[in-house]
Amino acid sequence: METFFSTSDKIQHIIKSFNLTKTLFVSSIIIGESHTGKKSLARYLFPDTLLVSGNDQKKVEEALENNNELIITNFEKLSNQNALDFTNKRIIATADYMGNQDLIDDLFAFIYTMPPLQERPEDVNHIKHLFIKEALSILMIEEHNFELDDVPINLTKNNKSLKRSIYMHLMRQNMDAQDIESVLYHYLIKHLDGNDGYREYLGLYEKPLIEAGLKKFGSQLQLSQVLGINRNTLRKKIHEHNID
Amino acid sequence: MNTTSIDFKSFIEWDNNPFILFSDQGKILYLNNAAEILFGYVTKQELYNISLSYAPQNFGYKTTSLTLNYDTFMFHAITVGYENEEQISLRLYNTPRIKTERKIEKDKLITTDINILLEANIALFRTKNTNSLKLLTDQDLPAFKIDQNNFSKLLRKTLDAFRASDSIDISLKLMFGQHVLIENKRESIAQFSIVANGRYTNTDAEIRTLAEVSQIKCMMKEHLSNLKFLLSNNPVID
Repeated sequence: METFFSTSDKIQHIIKSFNLTKTLFVSSIIIGESHTGKKSLARYLFPDTLLVSGNDQKKVEEALENNNELIITNFEKLSNQNALDFTNKRIIATADYMGNQDLIDDLFAFIYTMPPLQERPEDVNHIKHLFIKEALSILMIEEHNFELDDVPINLTKNNKSLKRSIYMHLMRQNMDAQDIESVLYHYLIKHLDGNDGYREYLGLYEKPLIEAGLKKFGSQLQLSQVLGINRNTLRKKIHEHNID
Repeated sequence: MNTTSIDFKSFIEWDNNPFILFSDQGKILYLNNAAEILFGYVTKQELYNISLSYAPQNFGYKTTSLTLNYDTFMFHAITVGYENEEQISLRLYNTPRIKTERKIEKDKLITTDINILLEANIALFRTKNTNSLKLLTDQDLPAFKIDQNNFSKLLRKTLDAFRASDSIDISLKLMFGQHVLIENKRESIAQFSIVANGRYTNTDAEIRTLAEVSQIKCMMKEHLSNLKFLLSNNPVID
């Protein structure tokens, strides 16, 4: 069964409203940025309801004919929303954006707006834990003692970018030299071109080397000793890669 | 044709359009039946002022098109006239009410507990607004037949119009002592009303249409919206 978690007031009100109308024949739509949990919410509230995607108009129309209760995802993708008849049906739709506002207004009795993750810091924390747990098991990584707050998170694309940033972080933490070589190998095979390749792609190695070194050893003088290069050479490289 | 012998008074008396005759001091010299009812909703002074503002420059009669609304009274024109310095008359013309052929789609009507619909709509309202809401409702209102989707839309839009108000009072109650007889059966009337300190009017037309489709009488004023509906399980009206 789908689970859904949120401490957001807004979402709690949405859930309350849905629970009240569960037995009524009204049409509802949840609109919000992609990957904010609209579909999960619909599934969580209506676990046994048939779900069709708006990508396929014909399928939606067929499903409407044969069912009194239906979840329609990606409602904005439907090519002909006008043709749908929601009379005496319980419709739960999800959409990434409103599209034709008048039409949506006309079709749906309940129009909910799903807040993006950025407005739900507590939810982010909870979802982050879930994703990390999932990632650790999928990547078959033994439980680490890393600080959760250290995991850099990206919320620009809600759950999608959040999940991606967690996986990337875990992958990075677990790479050895061989993995890095292999990553570089694949990257270069794809991108190496032109007539200044050596200088251009040397930066892939030099820049992180100097950045990490400066962070770890603090001064340029100390770093030049650790790296075994002249202080002036180091300064030149720092300038070349625009490192502060 | 000699008309002087005919007494027109009773024709004016029973005209459905209000007619008032003022003295030059603004006192009412005569008013017909329709005007008497109208005075329950507007002051003497206001109508007298209107008469003076729209009076013709010289002796005679002048008709002006304008829109006047007093509660449920709606007028689309007035005639102001005087033949001497002592008396001035005002006649208001009722706006014709368009009665469209209503088709009740019986298969759309489902027995519903309106309190559930109302609460769901309040929850929806709260997802977007943080205004303080007060709800006074009668949990024992009997379930009745409505088009749930349409009624929900009506509630949503009626509530939404008050989104900028900082305090909103919602009440839902049975109208005691008011009934409508349908096929010899007494059907109760319930009233849903919202009182707040401001209302957006841009969706009024849509609200009226939605209300009409569901056989609901609606009245909207600056600080208030009222919806009256039948608690009937046999909705064959008009």
